[in-house]
Amino acid sequence: MNSASPIARAPTDWNAAPMQKRIRRRYARERRFRFFGLAAVTLSAAFLAFLLITMVANGWRGFTRTDVALMIDFPASGMLVERAQLATPGADLALAGAGLENTVKSAAATAFGAGGDEFVSENAWLRVREAIKADPTVLDRKITILVPASTEIDQAVRGDGNAETKAAAAKLQQAGALSRHFNMDFLHESDSTDPVAVGIWGALKGSLLTMLVTFLIAFPVGVLSAIYLEEYAPRNRWTDLIEVSINNLAAVPSIIFGLLGLAVFLGSWSLFGYQFGPLLPRSAAIVGGLTLALMIMPVIVIASRNAIKAVPPSIRDAALGIGASPIQVVFHHVLPLAMPGILTGTIIGMARALGETAPLLLIGMRAFIVTPPGGFTDPATVLPVQIFLWSDEVSRGFVEKTSAAIIVLLVFLLAMNGLAIYLRNKFETRW
Amino acid sequence: MTDIPSKMSARGVSVFYGDKQAVKDVSIDIDMDKVTAFIGPSGCGKSTFLRTLNRMNDTIASARVTGDIMLDGENIYSSAMDVVQLRARVGMVFQKPNPFPKSIFENVAYGPRIHGLAASKSELEAIVERSLKRAGLWEEVKDRLQDSGTALSGGQQQRLCIARAIAVDPEVILMDEPASALDPIATAKIEELIHELRGRYAIAIVTHNMQQAARVSQRTAFFHLGTLVEYGETDQIFTTPREERTKDYITGRYG
Repeated sequence: MNSASPIARAPTDWNAAPMQKRIRRRYARERRFRFFGLAAVTLSAAFLAFLLITMVANGWRGFTRTDVALMIDFPASGMLVERAQLATPGADLALAGAGLENTVKSAAATAFGAGGDEFVSENAWLRVREAIKADPTVLDRKITILVPASTEIDQAVRGDGNAETKAAAAKLQQAGALSRHFNMDFLHESDSTDPVAVGIWGALKGSLLTMLVTFLIAFPVGVLSAIYLEEYAPRNRWTDLIEVSINNLAAVPSIIFGLLGLAVFLGSWSLFGYQFGPLLPRSAAIVGGLTLALMIMPVIVIASRNAIKAVPPSIRDAALGIGASPIQVVFHHVLPLAMPGILTGTIIGMARALGETAPLLLIGMRAFIVTPPGGFTDPATVLPVQIFLWSDEVSRGFVEKTSAAIIVLLVFLLAMNGLAIYLRNKFETRW
Repeated sequence: MTDIPSKMSARGVSVFYGDKQAVKDVSIDIDMDKVTAFIGPSGCGKSTFLRTLNRMNDTIASARVTGDIMLDGENIYSSAMDVVQLRARVGMVFQKPNPFPKSIFENVAYGPRIHGLAASKSELEAIVERSLKRAGLWEEVKDRLQDSGTALSGGQQQRLCIARAIAVDPEVILMDEPASALDPIATAKIEELIHELRGRYAIAIVTHNMQQAARVSQRTAFFHLGTLVEYGETDQIFTTPREERTKDYITGRYG
């Protein structure tokens, strides 16, 4: 036997020290990798938990309001109102004209002593007005109405503010005049200068309208572009160029899309000597939606192309082989199979659009909007911009409102993602 | 070879992928009552040639076909030929079973539905039942037509694909190695099925397996390096091949 032959090698000694050491090293590497992976997951979960706990702890107060039980003696106030007018649309004007605001202020001063009118919110009389409109007979007697406390009292109740207001708040509390309630107004009012009176509905509705425009533009255009590029377009230098451009667009900073939206939709144009002004109104949901649609379209195109590419070619062959036309192949077979992937990309894009602030600042959606937008062309703001604006406010009362707005934004985001995941699962189980 | 004109006849067909010529000057007839088998080593162009018969090569951008392919005397590459209609008339079964990820019923019903072959729901159900029966699958699936087609076994899936092709009532069925991904029992069922379908449809089958060609076909074409080396009655090809290369291949000298 020739011992030098490559076939006649010594049998592997698995128990030899170097071999054992190598095996131990391999296991150690495995354990290290698992440890780091687990540590990374734990760390990110901890950050998320920290964020949520901070937001909820700060924000839950934003959803509540301190109310003051205010006793008003209408017969003694000397306020004169024409009863017949209370049932007409002119009721608001009649009550304002009769000096209801001053009546409420003086009632507060009577009830809580000098400076008592500082304890109730400036909007307190609006609450009283609603009570009168609901039941005009209150004008003939003495009643106690819950009105919102002023920001100072609201803050003092939880230990913020100067000694004077704290003392006043303590006095009110002892008298049993203070109570906390869930603040429905926060959910259906809009921005205000007074933190007690602000609401999120204006911004929420603005976000809804903006997202609707974004989705209606970006989803069909993005998906159809992806289908065309994947299924129909010839592979040549032009389509390569388009592909590179789309990939680059996906990485362009959002503020640049804001400038683009500003220039295209809100700029003045001069063509062939004709001047024509802004195509669309400033601060409107439609402009915001279009701008964000431009921003997320590349994301949707890329995700959709990948999803379409992942559909097995054998399915296309099968459909073509029994005489389906190319468009039937796409809409009957490829698109339904690619839909889960397309929806995932769309969720990512829409979530990004929902949280986007910078481009919307440039197209004027940072305006102070006191009434919720009635349509796509009305001035509007959106949740992230509202959060940005409130976080910039001086008044302490806005801190909790900012956190409350963040909670609303997160709930909106979760609802949107939930809907998308539901749709995705529906498409997956159908196939 | 016969007095009746062939169902399909290819004359001087060449296929190019870019600059590379995959099929060189092939002339073959496919007749109604005969199964024609294409055999040859891998890469010899037999599948490529098969795919020219219902223009499936159109989906490959670089593919180019020259020569004439006639279906009932009509050139299928002429501009007057509607490719969607052609593929309904010349059906195809692929190497890997590729049912749609839909129910068994939907798989078979899809073709008749897109071509508008059934006027009513009951008519569509009748087409599905007839197709599944002809494909020899009816007895196995009649109680679970709403189950997913992908949940069937490999051999059942392939018979489902054959039923799907039959459902649009084609004149020619092209089979591209229909049994190469199946076990021997499933293969035997497919071969049996091919026997039964003969006469009703003109059938062309590509196969790696020479025994299979000998078993199922009446006529055999041997391809090598893109050329048609020998073409004739299956018995003659397997017993007394005229060409040296054919003899070498069927005796296992290369392949």
